[in-house]
Amino acid sequence: MSAVTSPGGGRLHGGVGSGERSREIVHVEHVMGTAVSIHLRLGTGSQEPSSTVGAALERACAELHGADGLFSTWKPESPMSMLRRGLLSPDEVPDEIGQVLDLCAYVRDLSSGWFDPWAMPGGVDPTGIVKGWAVERALGALRVRDVAAASVNAGGDVAVFGEPAEGTRWRIGVRHPWRPDALACVLLVDDAVATSGTYERGPHLVDPRTGGPRACAASASVVGPSLALADGMATALAVGGDEVLERLAELPRYEGYLVRTDGTEIWTPGMPFDE
Amino acid sequence: MKRYPVVLGVTAAGLAGVLGFHSHSGTVAIGGTSLGAGNAPSSNHSSHTGPSNTRTPATTPTTSPSSTGASGSTTAATGRLEQYGYGQLSVRVTMSGGKITNVAVATLQTAESYSQQLAAQVIPILQREVLSAQSAQINGLSGATYTSEAYAYSVQSALDKLPK
Repeated sequence: MSAVTSPGGGRLHGGVGSGERSREIVHVEHVMGTAVSIHLRLGTGSQEPSSTVGAALERACAELHGADGLFSTWKPESPMSMLRRGLLSPDEVPDEIGQVLDLCAYVRDLSSGWFDPWAMPGGVDPTGIVKGWAVERALGALRVRDVAAASVNAGGDVAVFGEPAEGTRWRIGVRHPWRPDALACVLLVDDAVATSGTYERGPHLVDPRTGGPRACAASASVVGPSLALADGMATALAVGGDEVLERLAELPRYEGYLVRTDGTEIWTPGMPFDE
Repeated sequence: MKRYPVVLGVTAAGLAGVLGFHSHSGTVAIGGTSLGAGNAPSSNHSSHTGPSNTRTPATTPTTSPSSTGASGSTTAATGRLEQYGYGQLSVRVTMSGGKITNVAVATLQTAESYSQQLAAQVIPILQREVLSAQSAQINGLSGATYTSEAYAYSVQSALDKLPK
């Protein structure tokens, strides 16, 4: 059975035997306030998990915990929390925080201000992008020999590479905003998809223009090459609605899909629905 | 326009308690937003001509619950629980610029069987919805971030349980 040790106390399924499924490894890591699901498909000739794969999985989980330690606004000792309270200056925080804030500024401009970590109550809060950013780095750690394909799903924000099975594309369901066990649609994803909505954690989305709660979407999904960017734009889409969808339509290689609060749907022309 | 034309009559007292006048009684479509005698503003969705596709679902409400009138502020109030045929119900009314822009069922307490029956009928039908995620042959699930605790009940959690 599995030769890989579990990096974070999670469970590993891996097996040697016949059939496609036996060459898959699934690991669930509880971090960043959610459950991160990692699926790996081993390449041909890697009939059992190698030490390379185990080390890559450990690095991937370390990336997630590292991002949590740096950025968590729930942990008072995190550099992000200390920056927010003025206990650290921008020059004193780790480089990663500067990188993420630069990315935040970029997405703020892309979204016409509908994603704006500087307008959050309580000080600058890049939470809307950090998870996607961390998952991208975790997925990067999994790009090693012996791993033919992988997905990292952090509580609903998904990044993938490779083919889930030979000759196939990743089929990612978008949760139905009003039915927990149903799907709004199925997407064919080659890189990343992020979805934002208020049905899981209540009205946490903030209108950067008023500082108050706002959501004009029951569900907002963004597909594209970067999960960090998709994560931020999905948040913007959930708050800004149609206006943000217009921005997405102009953005090469990104697509958006919006279920409005009244159940009407709208999407950009290239949205990769599995019809 | 409605695939599920479930319409309940609401007593005049129920609405009057919210609206503050007594001459008005309406017919409320559960979960929808149409009000028999309401003054609904024109939908802000119908004129969209951007580079996007749009559609209207089978259960089209006539207004958006979050819409704000061009003039005046938007206020909302929830009425007290009223008895109706199958249980208790309260109605939430939103007014903007002196007009009713939305009426929605805020609370619905019913016997279990009716509750399930009604719950199945008030949810908008999405164009590509798949009612059984388990049978959709998906590799993963994208959605609003679930907590570590809620994960246990998620479709993703089911996907993570590989057959041995």
